[in-house]
Amino acid sequence: MKRWMIALASATALLTSSAMAQEKIKIGAAPYGLNAEFMQIWAAALQEHPAVKSGEVELTVFDGRYDALVQQDQFKTMVTQKYNAIIFAPIDVDAGAAAVQSASDAGIPVIGSNTRVNSDLLTSYVGSDDTISGYMEAKTVLDKIGCKGNVVILEGPVGQSAQISRLEGNKKALAECPDVKVLEDQTANWSRAEAQTLMENWLTAHPKQINGVIGQNDEMALGAIEAIKAAGLDVKSFAIAGIDGITDALHAVKAGEMTSILQDARAQAQGALDLAIFNAKKGDYKPQSDIWTTYKDMPWNDGKEKIYNVPWTPVTAENVDQLLATRK
Amino acid sequence: MSVGDDKKAKGWLGSEQRRLLVQEYGIFLAFLILVAVLSVSNEFFLTAGNISNVLLQTSINGVLAIGMTFVILTRGIDLSVGSVVALAGIVSASFVTSSATAGISGAPYPVALGIGIGLLVGIACGAVSGLIVSRFSVPAFVTTLGMLSAARGLTLIYGGGRPVPALTPAFRWIGTGDVFGIPAPVIILAIVFAVSWWILNRTRFGRYIYAVGGNPHAARTSGINITRIQFVVYVISGGLAGFAGMLLSARTGSALPQAGIAYELDAIAAVVIGGTSLSGGVGRVTGTLIGALIIGVMNNGLDLMGIQSYYQQVLKGALIVGAVMLDQKRNYGA
Repeated sequence: MKRWMIALASATALLTSSAMAQEKIKIGAAPYGLNAEFMQIWAAALQEHPAVKSGEVELTVFDGRYDALVQQDQFKTMVTQKYNAIIFAPIDVDAGAAAVQSASDAGIPVIGSNTRVNSDLLTSYVGSDDTISGYMEAKTVLDKIGCKGNVVILEGPVGQSAQISRLEGNKKALAECPDVKVLEDQTANWSRAEAQTLMENWLTAHPKQINGVIGQNDEMALGAIEAIKAAGLDVKSFAIAGIDGITDALHAVKAGEMTSILQDARAQAQGALDLAIFNAKKGDYKPQSDIWTTYKDMPWNDGKEKIYNVPWTPVTAENVDQLLATRK
Repeated sequence: MSVGDDKKAKGWLGSEQRRLLVQEYGIFLAFLILVAVLSVSNEFFLTAGNISNVLLQTSINGVLAIGMTFVILTRGIDLSVGSVVALAGIVSASFVTSSATAGISGAPYPVALGIGIGLLVGIACGAVSGLIVSRFSVPAFVTTLGMLSAARGLTLIYGGGRPVPALTPAFRWIGTGDVFGIPAPVIILAIVFAVSWWILNRTRFGRYIYAVGGNPHAARTSGINITRIQFVVYVISGGLAGFAGMLLSARTGSALPQAGIAYELDAIAAVVIGGTSLSGGVGRVTGTLIGALIIGVMNNGLDLMGIQSYYQQVLKGALIVGAVMLDQKRNYGA
């Protein structure tokens, strides 16, 4: 009987200790792809989250390789391995829905981050509203040219959610300046080299007529700057804007060549991770990232919100040095 | 058969002469027609500034396509050039950047070193592909598909996925400088073209390339070292891709890990439009140059007219297939 008791006690001890080891929360992050700077900052921010550093959370980042099917398979893996929560930045608004469904069926909370997905099953979403950035960047260009003159727009890949929303924002700002004419409006697929070629050709087709360049991301705005320089024109006589706040663009802002609207990858990532832990622990959690104190406009609200909108920050001569210091 | 008889049947030229005329100048005529149409429909097309632009925009694809011509003439293909562009671009950039963090320690180094390194990276990639194709008889399509993936991966590993910005003005000269108003990349393209033309038309090595592509078996029995020829064409293609990578980063001012994606397709398109046969042994580097110019002129012309880039892709597709149809007709039909 005594031996029995000991056996039982040790078994209980074993069980509890293994249960304690299991308390380490397993969270998977599924970004659409890790080739570009923005998502690298995003992924690095996850690793720097206090809960990951302290070992409270075991984090795995899956590279979606810009393929909706790859992401779907990664969700299957996470479901089979019983992850406690998933952070999802889908490549496609609609194709991501099936992946969210599969996790939801298995009772795993999914937190959206950065890119949107058409699904009601998303627990929460932390991102920035692209229509706002589209409006903000177009406004800086239009303000600089005094609401009159001619502009060109360099668009993202047509049909991508960021392109659609940023264009909507661009158009909203343009509607406020009816005297401004959009001379050209084409996609350069987020690419600096493609934008450079387009801008070279536009400068030829509209000599001395282009006053402003609205680039829907920084890469394309930078391509336009190179084309202007190559044509022997003065970059500072153009109003040029981009979105994202990538490092090269920060340097260009510092040089007075363009303006950029910073999308805070770090806040989107760490905010989503706090929400993922919160939901994995069924509400028994206080957010640990400092982003909640940085952005007063985005309150934590006990983790109950469906959508957390990370504010955009215009990059200016005043804050550019501080931002550059964070990029090493 | 006398020429007179033929004239009656076929018109103002003998069929053989006409065939030769189309073969020699067909692509050139198509190019002239395209230029004429664009000159009439857009007032800016035929300005000095725009001609310089078109040549500039053609230079990178032109250099890649010339390298591709060597490979395709031997019945091979090099799918890896776009990735090699990115790899050579980023490695060479890390030697000539004035950024304190993106470069290797001690950067910026002299331009010549950066260019030398970039060329070496391209040549090394080409040598690996060439070795595998020629010594181990792995199909070129498979080998260079592997290199396409591997070189892209190495690019991301080398730069940590980040771009290398702030290239020194001296390095940027190869992409943005000019000599008496002629852009440096255009001069480089002209030199690459002239040397390649000389190799293919005036040297024994050039004749061997045609022989290997035309009939490998016959070439082998007549004592040509096929393995060596096959190896060298990939080295040429790799080296030129490396050079194109540096032209690209010098032009954009920053070496990007995503650079050059799908560039192999435009290079192959230029070769095919230029009349070089994918089954090897037949083709001219002059045709390739004109093929590249046709693609460049078309993109530029449609941009000037404000036509959506999607139409450009459709037209390019039609042009590629049309050129090969013409090619088939002149080889087997009529």
